[in-house]
Amino acid sequence: MPKLLIVDDETDVREFAASFFRKRKIDVITASSGEEALGIVKQQKSDLVLLDIRMTGIDGIETLKRIKELDKNAKVIMITGRKPEEEASFDRCRELGAIDYIHKPLELDELEKMVLKELLNN
Amino acid sequence: MKFLYINFVIVLCLTAITTFALGIFVLIRNRHNIVNKTFAFYSFSISWWGFSEIWGIACDKRLTALIWTRIEQVGVFFIPTFFIHFVISLLNIKDKKWLLRVAYSFSIIFAILCSTPLMIADSVPKRTVPYVKHFGTSGSAYYFAILFFVILSIYGLSKLYNAYRLSYGARKNQLKYLFWSSLSGYVGGAANFLLVYGINVPILNPFGTYALPIYIAIVAYAISRYRLMDVNVALTRTGIFVAVYTLILGFPFVIAVRAKGWLIDKFGASWWMLPLGLMGVLATVGPFIYIYLQRRAEDRLLREQRRYQESLKQASIGMTRIRNLRKLLDLITHIVTKTVRISYAAIYLYSEEADEYVLQISRDKDRTPISKLSSDNPLLAWLTLKREPLIYEEVKRQMEDTNDAAYRQLEENMRFLTASVIIPSFLEDRFMGFFVLGDKISGQIYTVDDLNVFQVLASQAALAIENAQFYEEAKEMQEQIAQAEKMATIGTMADGLSHQINNRFYALSLITGDTIDTIKTTDTSKCTPEVKEMIEQINHALQRIQSNVTQGGEVVRGLLKYSRKGDAGFEALDLNSLLDNTLEMVQYKVKLSEINIIRDFPKNIPKIKGNMAQLEEAFFNFVDNAYDAIVERRRLLKEKGYRGKITISARPKNNNLEIIVEDNGMGIKFANHEKIFTPFFTTKATSRKGTGLGLYVIRRIITDMHKGKIAFESEYKAGTRFILELPIAQ
Repeated sequence: MPKLLIVDDETDVREFAASFFRKRKIDVITASSGEEALGIVKQQKSDLVLLDIRMTGIDGIETLKRIKELDKNAKVIMITGRKPEEEASFDRCRELGAIDYIHKPLELDELEKMVLKELLNN
Repeated sequence: MKFLYINFVIVLCLTAITTFALGIFVLIRNRHNIVNKTFAFYSFSISWWGFSEIWGIACDKRLTALIWTRIEQVGVFFIPTFFIHFVISLLNIKDKKWLLRVAYSFSIIFAILCSTPLMIADSVPKRTVPYVKHFGTSGSAYYFAILFFVILSIYGLSKLYNAYRLSYGARKNQLKYLFWSSLSGYVGGAANFLLVYGINVPILNPFGTYALPIYIAIVAYAISRYRLMDVNVALTRTGIFVAVYTLILGFPFVIAVRAKGWLIDKFGASWWMLPLGLMGVLATVGPFIYIYLQRRAEDRLLREQRRYQESLKQASIGMTRIRNLRKLLDLITHIVTKTVRISYAAIYLYSEEADEYVLQISRDKDRTPISKLSSDNPLLAWLTLKREPLIYEEVKRQMEDTNDAAYRQLEENMRFLTASVIIPSFLEDRFMGFFVLGDKISGQIYTVDDLNVFQVLASQAALAIENAQFYEEAKEMQEQIAQAEKMATIGTMADGLSHQINNRFYALSLITGDTIDTIKTTDTSKCTPEVKEMIEQINHALQRIQSNVTQGGEVVRGLLKYSRKGDAGFEALDLNSLLDNTLEMVQYKVKLSEINIIRDFPKNIPKIKGNMAQLEEAFFNFVDNAYDAIVERRRLLKEKGYRGKITISARPKNNNLEIIVEDNGMGIKFANHEKIFTPFFTTKATSRKGTGLGLYVIRRIITDMHKGKIAFESEYKAGTRFILELPIAQ
């Protein structure tokens, strides 16, 4: 069963995203902060990470950097609330090895498509 | 007897000296003016008479007396000729060359005849004029000469009188006492003819002669101070002058004559040193006495005028402390109208935006003043050049006298403004504005002193107005800065807020999405139809929520974009993406589906060097305005098949890109063309009332920030076209 790690400080986001993907036979683990995510990444390997950029505590970019330090091959999709062209931050994410981004708010099937594509490529 | 004799000598001395001095004075003031020239010669001829008459009556030797009397008559026969020449040139009477030629010919003939006994037969001691040593007796031609004198004098006086009757205002005033003083001068002076025939009119002879120097002084004053004047002042000044100098000349003379014997006893041969010394002392003190007396007299005469001049000066000092422009202008007009009692006062100030002088305030009962004057108005050009007050009476007189087109225009403009006086207000070299003053309620004329005070007031006012304007601008600037700061704060807040809102939307979309997904993946076949129906409704509701969340997200994105700070640098911008961004923004305000937007330029049009956020704002306003104009036209004209259209075309022009934004909306009425860039000016209907800042902002962005150009053409009921030039990116 493919493993998906959702990192978001919003309870609702974690709960419903997890519920959605679990119905699609995906093993979903959630983390409410960058720190928690790093703890999980250290213990087990995930096939894909959905990582929110803006979080309290260490933010998404920093988390991404550390995940990549722990696991060079980790696949991470960034979730951002801002417009891409003014987001120098996404260029930074790409440099750090993020494979894609999606921005909030979003339609679930868009997210589904992207996630399933990455997980099935395995 | 001795007193009368001394008196006669003194008055002749005084006449000879004053007329000579004033003649020179007037000539120096303007050597090229025919009025001044003829007056000077007129004065000299009187001076000639006075001077030689002294020797004629005072010489002990009969033959010498006769020669002096004959010389004296030469001057006498030129007096009336110069007089009419002066009057003709003063009143600008045309076609009188022949008369002057005849008069001069006679004067010359009579002057030549003076060397024969035909004029003055002899000079003898006269029983009827006992106080003189000798006096002339007339020859046979003398009657003709007197007749000539009288005819010309009457001719000149009657011309003066007619002109006086037909004139008005200040000119009337001037001519009035020119006439009366001339008349008294002639009566007083001509009485000396009677002495030749042994007729001695008491008082008139020899006191009437005093009228001569006074008369000449008044005329000199009148023509050298061509500007408005006050009869009382002129009369008092000359009266005091004559009195003081009679004393200065007369007192030592009286001593010399009356106390000669006593002085010789006391001081011997050099007795004359005393009266001469006294005269020297008096002559030194004289001017001081004269000034002192004059000031005292004028303080009395002009008490009223001095009072308001003083309060005007006081007020003008206090003015600079007032910071509210409106209050200040109100105060100035109040001071002027109340203290000087003027029927009407108005202030016009220069407006840089419109390049016009705009009426700021006016005080009057029942007229609607002209609201503005373009800065190329001849009146204003004149004021800029001359920097002096303009007086309607003078302008009108100049116009009539010279028939000059310039004066005609001035007169016309002053008449439109209902101005008796216009006082320009300068701050250094800047022509800030002008005051328009109506007539004094008392009907009195404006004096030179009045004008001086008004000029002081006007320059103080210029300073005060500048102060107040600066203060108000600074205040406005402060408000704008505060507003901008508020906007920036909102912008920053929007940034944070939108993140929060987006997170909510994100959560919402996940919740609804997942629930929809749950419904979709759950087997509901065993449910009752009611439950199935309910689930279907919930599913529909969730889909609606989903769709609203997506739209909400778009709104937040737009807000974020709009709140973005516009102070980023300049970059090479593509006109197409600029328009894309603009339309994306503007769609929240304008129904783009109702209109056609046409991009009429090639794909590879050069890029603009500019700031995206600012230009987006400018184009946002263009489209917004055009849309409003289109809606307005649709609403007002109700044309069949009308569809709004905004065309954006562009082409390179030198180093700039010329962009034309054209709409087929309502257009702008011609009367409003000048105002459209003025802040807070709006023509938009109340339903969609604009702030009046749109075009103001556009102009600031285009011309100030981007150093570009903006112009527009508009036709009411046809449309508007803005023509921009923005620098091309290198």
